[in-house]
Amino acid sequence: MTTVADHEGGLDQALQRLGRKARFAELMAESRTGDRVSVDTSSTTFASEPRLRGVVFRVWTGRQWAEASTSEFGPAELDVVVSRLESESERGGGNAPPPGEPATTRGSWTAVAKRSLRDLGPEGSISLAKDIRGWAAAVQGISMVHVVLDWGQSERLYLNSAGARCHQRIERTHAIVVPIAMENGRVGFERWGVGGIGGLELLPELTEPTIRKTAAASKELLGAKAPPSGETDVLLEPGVTGIFAHESFGHGTEADQFVRNRSYLKPILGQVVGPEYLSIVDDGTFPGGWGSFFCDDEGHLAHKTPLIDHGRFVGALHDRETAAVLGAKATANTRRSDFRSRAFVRMTNTYVAPGDRTLEELVADVQDGVLLEQWMSGIEDPLGGQMQIKVQKGHRIEHGRITDLVGAMALSGKVLDFLKAIRGVGRADRIVIEPGFCGKGHSDPLPAGTGGVHLLSRAIVGPA
Amino acid sequence: MSAKAAPSDMAFRVADRLRTDGPWDVIGERSTRFEVHLQGAAIELERGPITVEGYGVRLFRPRGDKLGTGFQGSTDTSPEGVRAVLEDAEATARHSEFPARTVELPSGGRAPAEVLSVDRGLWSDPVGSIRAYVDALLRPFEGRKGAVPSFGSVKATLTELSFANSAGLKVSFPCTRVDLELAVKAFGGPEGAPPGEFWVTHTAGRLEPESAARSVEAWCRHAADVRHAVTPPTGDQAVILPPPVLTDILPHVLGFQFTGVARLRRIAPKLGAAVAADRVTIRDEGTYPWGARSAPYDDEGAPRGTHALIERGSVAGLLYDSLYASAFATGSTGSATRTTLGPSVDSFGDLRFTQRSGPGGSTIVVAPGDGGTTDELVEAAGEGILVTQLGWANPNPISGSFGGEIRIGYRIRGGKIAEPVRGGTIGGAVLAPPGAPSMLANAEAIGRDLELCGYLAAPAILVRPLSVAGSSP
Repeated sequence: MTTVADHEGGLDQALQRLGRKARFAELMAESRTGDRVSVDTSSTTFASEPRLRGVVFRVWTGRQWAEASTSEFGPAELDVVVSRLESESERGGGNAPPPGEPATTRGSWTAVAKRSLRDLGPEGSISLAKDIRGWAAAVQGISMVHVVLDWGQSERLYLNSAGARCHQRIERTHAIVVPIAMENGRVGFERWGVGGIGGLELLPELTEPTIRKTAAASKELLGAKAPPSGETDVLLEPGVTGIFAHESFGHGTEADQFVRNRSYLKPILGQVVGPEYLSIVDDGTFPGGWGSFFCDDEGHLAHKTPLIDHGRFVGALHDRETAAVLGAKATANTRRSDFRSRAFVRMTNTYVAPGDRTLEELVADVQDGVLLEQWMSGIEDPLGGQMQIKVQKGHRIEHGRITDLVGAMALSGKVLDFLKAIRGVGRADRIVIEPGFCGKGHSDPLPAGTGGVHLLSRAIVGPA
Repeated sequence: MSAKAAPSDMAFRVADRLRTDGPWDVIGERSTRFEVHLQGAAIELERGPITVEGYGVRLFRPRGDKLGTGFQGSTDTSPEGVRAVLEDAEATARHSEFPARTVELPSGGRAPAEVLSVDRGLWSDPVGSIRAYVDALLRPFEGRKGAVPSFGSVKATLTELSFANSAGLKVSFPCTRVDLELAVKAFGGPEGAPPGEFWVTHTAGRLEPESAARSVEAWCRHAADVRHAVTPPTGDQAVILPPPVLTDILPHVLGFQFTGVARLRRIAPKLGAAVAADRVTIRDEGTYPWGARSAPYDDEGAPRGTHALIERGSVAGLLYDSLYASAFATGSTGSATRTTLGPSVDSFGDLRFTQRSGPGGSTIVVAPGDGGTTDELVEAAGEGILVTQLGWANPNPISGSFGGEIRIGYRIRGGKIAEPVRGGTIGGAVLAPPGAPSMLANAEAIGRDLELCGYLAAPAILVRPLSVAGSSP
């Protein structure tokens, strides 16, 4: 399949044509390649990324933005899209300048894997997946194993009528292993997963001992006790802390929600919201991070944005429009899920920076609480300031000791109360960014990384 | 602007170019979407047409005593493009194994009677229809004090599907889908409470301006109630789950566990097993009027129909597409699907031609019971909670567990709706082994009024007890 760059001439012509009718025009064209191996106990599936590419155009009509997109790069198909946006520009009826400053970045970047999963070929990838399945299946009590290995390369070209040209290729690799134990109708499973920008070099921990340990943990979950119910001390493991960062001060600081007056955080920008040892960052430049990129879908170079700095709420995530409205600078957080999706303010890699407490110290600080492990999902509450986090399992903490294994839980709480109740942030030599997929509201999924360290606070938990 | 009116023949054109042995099938799809995005009560952005036209080729090759299943999707219909897709599909078939010796693809058959799955007005004038819908949606907010829309979108997708296969099948049909998302904010007043929000999502096969406009009053009331809601008490309680909450739970669990996929993974319940209270009867209805997945044919071109899943509390049947049916020497139930339910990690998850098919639910229909109206269910509950909205129930299809934060609900005291509650969680298992507590086993009463919410048509269900985690006693 031809690349997007091969069609740059035709795309650029279409953009120039739009630029003659509209005050500002831009396009994002993309294509994807990749393979996915899925092996379970009864079947093997090898799949290739569909041969699909497309382009979205956006124009400022003098009153509002308008967009259209197509999966075809031929002159006739581009003409349909451009004509539609030309007529929108004429219909626009306004004379206002486009909000904010356009990017003028020019560059071309590639993030390749040191050892690509692609290089293993279908046979090698399937063989690896079957080995992994075998490691897990060898653990007594495991009745089903699901292994997924995939790699994908995304190519994106951004052009605008102000002269920006950003071309980037990024390869991501993702591995998931789920051993499932079943007994008398009960199901227990643990998930092991890693993902990021790169290739097989991301998977040094994908070893037989790791997978056997995961399988043993799945079996152990069959005997998990019911989780506590009600308000209690909660110790979040690093991955769960990452979801907390994402759902609380991640979504809460997407400044398009400030502009809509739909963020509980807007009135308290600049205030102290947590302990001095708490810092939260969104970092699109995090090396190898699942949500990293070179430039965003408005042509701004990737950026590291402090959100909470030593307890003080210091920053928000901006696109060009919110930056203009709120007197800030664009932070390179404008992202589209794909060429069919609109641009929104989105996170990249969001994490809680390390503190100074050891895990032992944090556990010792809890008389009656629960350790939350293995995040499954979370959801924000942009205006109400609540958050929901779900985990696959946990352990009770009693009198400063980790005790019984407990099953799946949901955490509920008011973010600002949760911050005030933080009693410690764990230490770490490095942050591990875990792969996840983030939606804006209930749609537009895209890769977003999360990470953190152990964090001790207080919230409501219950079975889930 | 109107969408292309010509019937889609993409699959037929590609099939004519295939030079390969069967079994194979081709899906063709033209998807055209139009969107309006709101900022407050103003239109922030109009999008469209967002057009994708493509096809997917699936083929099946013997691999010893198994079947190699190959697939590839593409937008390139040139002879070279089709050839490349065929090569990809052959390559993926060489490296895939499915536990069946052969597959019996649908060869046509009787089309169901007319299915309400195409909004004709939307089809003929998508932009005008969406603008009129948005006007109707926003009109009840005009002049209203203390409540405004803050964020939202209306997305209308016009899809033309065609199917051809090596068994001689040739069918094509259109369908429409509408996704609404709207956040309603309540504010102001003398009490000085922070603003409250009610966040609505709704999916259906058509635009329903009158229904949306009628709902605004309730949405504003819920947003206002958020402002002074309190955390519910901890403990096992009677809980009423209305259809908008159930749609976040039941289709995800039943639409997986009651399929050939789950059976192959040994997760499906056994036929005849008692998994719910006797009063629970649930079926999958592929042609339910205006259901989000309703259509005359499934995503392999087999006629859709109605299939019992749970009959008076016991497992009555599972759902199959042709491939998973072949693994169990049974027949397809016309339940092939190529789209995901709700939020997907794949942003192309709604494009059928990019996905292999698998069996799944269409519209899960919970048979109405004798519990009466919601008010009567509240009366029957006595003490408990009516949950109006959860953050995200996000059930686990494998374990069947679900749970989420209460975004807004109401205490039930003395058989009457009392103060609003918010925060804390509810959770449990949808299904459990016989004798163990679960949502369906503990269904004490089922209401009488069916409501369609996306992939589910159900009345409200009173569950006693369900675990609530909230404030300490």
